[in-house]
Amino acid sequence: MTDELDLIDAAKAGSVIAFTELVRSYRERLLRFLLTRCESYADAEDALQDTFINAYRYLQSYDSRWRFSTWLYRIAIRNAARLRTDHVAELGELRDEESDPLKLCIAESERENLWQSARRLLSDEVYAAMWLRYVEDMSIKDVAVVLDRSNSWTKVNLLRGRRALDAELNRGKPTNESEAYG
Amino acid sequence: MDKLAKQLREDAASINVEVSAELDDRIRASLLGITPERSRQTEAPQRPRSTWWASSLTGIVAATIVIVLLNLNQPDPLVPVANSPTERIFNPRLNLNTVASTAPLQKELEDLEADLKKAEDAVRKEIGLFP
Repeated sequence: MTDELDLIDAAKAGSVIAFTELVRSYRERLLRFLLTRCESYADAEDALQDTFINAYRYLQSYDSRWRFSTWLYRIAIRNAARLRTDHVAELGELRDEESDPLKLCIAESERENLWQSARRLLSDEVYAAMWLRYVEDMSIKDVAVVLDRSNSWTKVNLLRGRRALDAELNRGKPTNESEAYG
Repeated sequence: MDKLAKQLREDAASINVEVSAELDDRIRASLLGITPERSRQTEAPQRPRSTWWASSLTGIVAATIVIVLLNLNQPDPLVPVANSPTERIFNPRLNLNTVASTAPLQKELEDLEADLKKAEDAVRKEIGLFP
């Protein structure tokens, strides 16, 4: 963490090399996340590139009271949303099952990957909240900051997301879940 | 960690992604072409503390000079002109001598100007304008 702060300070002072180190430590994590929010692998790559460009350009505005990942994910979500809007505007609605980038990156298995289930069951925001909480280990407060939501919204929707995915994980067992989540 | 959280983490890890060398090069090339935005705080030039004193002192002296000049340019106070002889006796026309009444102010102005000159010299010397 101290290393990361040192790199951020150096990058703020104008070191591209320091920022490239930060890129290296976040690129796979961010790409994995963006893949779940973009319409194609190429879009996810574009969103990743834009995220790092914006982060470097506006690095002076980064406030070290927040985790760097919180700030990066916030930028990434906005970029992914912008690309989705552009995509819809250009090509119309929307995902083709065959070209789903998430599907392409998950090996065949007996059980559906829970994140694929999450895409079916949850809204984009709840999906993102679940990812940030359970994959990125962010606190409720950080998740709320990234999504620009209140802490209580985040708590409630994380709970809903958990219920939906718990039901999915235990499918086959009797369940009374029937509501739409998110 | 509960079962669901563990499963979510494992399933996320099983999403295979790889940042291609081409994408890596693209990102690096983009970064090299960017000039980071500087914050306003860093853009503002750092002025020496003496500048603050100099500008404050100049402001105070300028305000004092304006006040003095305004007072100097004031017309003589109107003195009611007596019309009747009785009024002339008991209420004689008092025509104050302007020079006499403003002489102390004039001296004060000159003193202030001398003080200002001294202060300016001191500040210039402090900020290194004089050798």
